[in-house]
Amino acid sequence: MSLTAWIRRARTPEPVAVRREIAVFEPADLFDIEIKDNPETNPVLCCTGDPAGAAAFNALWLKRIATSGRYAAAVSVRGQGGTPAAEGGPDAKAHDVVQAAVTVPRQTVLIGHREGAAWAALAAGRYPAAGLVLVSPQRFPKQLPKPVGEPPVLLVVSESETQSKEVQAVSEEYGITPLTFAGAPDDVFKGANAEALLDTILSWLDAQKH
Amino acid sequence: MQEYSSQAAYDRGEAVCVIGAGASGLIAVKNLRENGFEVDCYERDTVLGGLWNPQNQHSPLYPNTHLVTSRSQTEIPDFPMPDDWPDYPSATQMLEYLTSYAKHFGLSEHVWYGSEISHLEPVEGSRFEVVVKPAAGAAARRLRYGAVIIATGHHWAPNLPSYPGLDDFRGTVLHSSQLKDASRLRGKHVLVIGGGNSGVDIACEAAVNAASCVHSVRRGTWHLPKYLGGEPADYALARLSSRPKLLRRFLTDRTLKGPKRLAERMGVEAPGHGPGDEEPVRNGRYLEHVGDGSIKRRGEVARFDGYDVAFADGTEIRPDLVVLATGYQPKIACVAPELLGGTRDAPAPRLFARMFSPKAQTLAVAGLVEPGVGVLPIVHWQTHAIARWLQIRKSDPERAESFKLQVNAESGHNAVEHVDPRRRLVVDAEEYLASLGRIIDTLEQEPAK
Repeated sequence: MSLTAWIRRARTPEPVAVRREIAVFEPADLFDIEIKDNPETNPVLCCTGDPAGAAAFNALWLKRIATSGRYAAAVSVRGQGGTPAAEGGPDAKAHDVVQAAVTVPRQTVLIGHREGAAWAALAAGRYPAAGLVLVSPQRFPKQLPKPVGEPPVLLVVSESETQSKEVQAVSEEYGITPLTFAGAPDDVFKGANAEALLDTILSWLDAQKH
Repeated sequence: MQEYSSQAAYDRGEAVCVIGAGASGLIAVKNLRENGFEVDCYERDTVLGGLWNPQNQHSPLYPNTHLVTSRSQTEIPDFPMPDDWPDYPSATQMLEYLTSYAKHFGLSEHVWYGSEISHLEPVEGSRFEVVVKPAAGAAARRLRYGAVIIATGHHWAPNLPSYPGLDDFRGTVLHSSQLKDASRLRGKHVLVIGGGNSGVDIACEAAVNAASCVHSVRRGTWHLPKYLGGEPADYALARLSSRPKLLRRFLTDRTLKGPKRLAERMGVEAPGHGPGDEEPVRNGRYLEHVGDGSIKRRGEVARFDGYDVAFADGTEIRPDLVVLATGYQPKIACVAPELLGGTRDAPAPRLFARMFSPKAQTLAVAGLVEPGVGVLPIVHWQTHAIARWLQIRKSDPERAESFKLQVNAESGHNAVEHVDPRRRLVVDAEEYLASLGRIIDTLEQEPAK
């Protein structure tokens, strides 16, 4: 975040505060398996453009992330799931993501899906995320802030999207090559494809020494 | 510890030593770590949070301390406070915030508590040797670092005025930092001396708790309410800063007209300079207490006499308790004043851009400013700049050169030194932030080729 960007933000009205729904799954919640929250690893915070919000990650994601020893959380931004609607565009939603991120006990990785990827990218411009994972990004902002603290960035898209202009623009912006997953971009929350996608993300995270 | 207490200093390589684990120190540790530095932070107390921690044995907190700047103008830029907190968080919330910041970024593991830096000196060119004095028992040890950042703050050494007869006064005299509990005011006749933020806050506490409250104020100060036009006052005024100069002046004058008239009505003269030239008093309740008579304003104290206190105007009162809200003296004891640009006779630091030592490239001070706005964001950008400087100092000699020129140019305003020692740390927030922005740009922008 540049100093000028911060000054501009500090002098614009803050988005209305909402009571956000945050779903949390800690490794300690897994009674059936012996997995401890590993303080060497960074927690993970997810968001999606899907109207279900945090609940979308309940079926598979949170538990599986927790199984890998990481604190797993997901947030519903304003108007999604259990979070009441309130005024505000992508910036307000990025504000929701940042507000959720600072409640996570340690420096967190941000995972965003669809429009959620855009909010996560905006959030990473104000909060030093431990990593930024963009899954099938959609409606990406034209003016992208440079991520604070230079986190590693991963872009994962479905096979059908690899040629899309949006994906190419994002991969150019961050200077990274996208990884691909099988299946439709909206079908990432359950099923075999979703599991494969999640494993890709988790092994990438582990490779980042975080 | 045994191995360190020998003659040879333990070499920590390129690691950076941060002195103090208060707000400024923690921000410094976080930003240095983010830029890839090893950091050892030394805190003389046994807790983090510095002045915000009431368990700190030197804590300057007084009853019911709240922030005088609003949340959005005070929070650390990359770690916002929860947005359901009030506009003006309390000292307790501030400590909670700093604790969660430290926890979030894993800062505590780099902090050595109960360790005071008693001395530091440059060695081998740009490196520093520090002497760490543990609070109890163990012998002092010496370590060498690639750089040192002093973040000890300036609210530790109480500024105690002397009045004729003060030593023989029969009532109780406390410095504001010793007044830990509002119950000490209950039922007492209280005299509060000092017209700064702490004096005004304590007078308000006394107005509702004590039997009577007299407030001795030596000179005029700007009084701002905590809200202007339905918005936190500092936010409302900061928003005007983006306007063109003339319009800004007009709007600022218009916004401040009401509060100024109220202050005049209550007998508070506005000083000659604008509200940005000195830390203004920010308190919405004070003038109302003056208005309903629960605070009586008086001028300067002339002398103490047994049980009585005489004012310069000839009047006398008989207080049970005198609170000296006379502020603090900035004091950096661990380093020779010359290293920070002072002299033996005038030890006040004179730093490049208010943070870099003019004598040593790898010595800097964080948070030694009074910008009249929230200090935490300023410290964030200061330490960001310091970390970047330490990074490029060796790796990019060309940019390092242009940085030095830049910092020298930015230090121009240091030449016009405030004669008034009370205003020595004052900077204009707008100008200082712009100057920090230019310094950071020099450090970060791709060189034009």
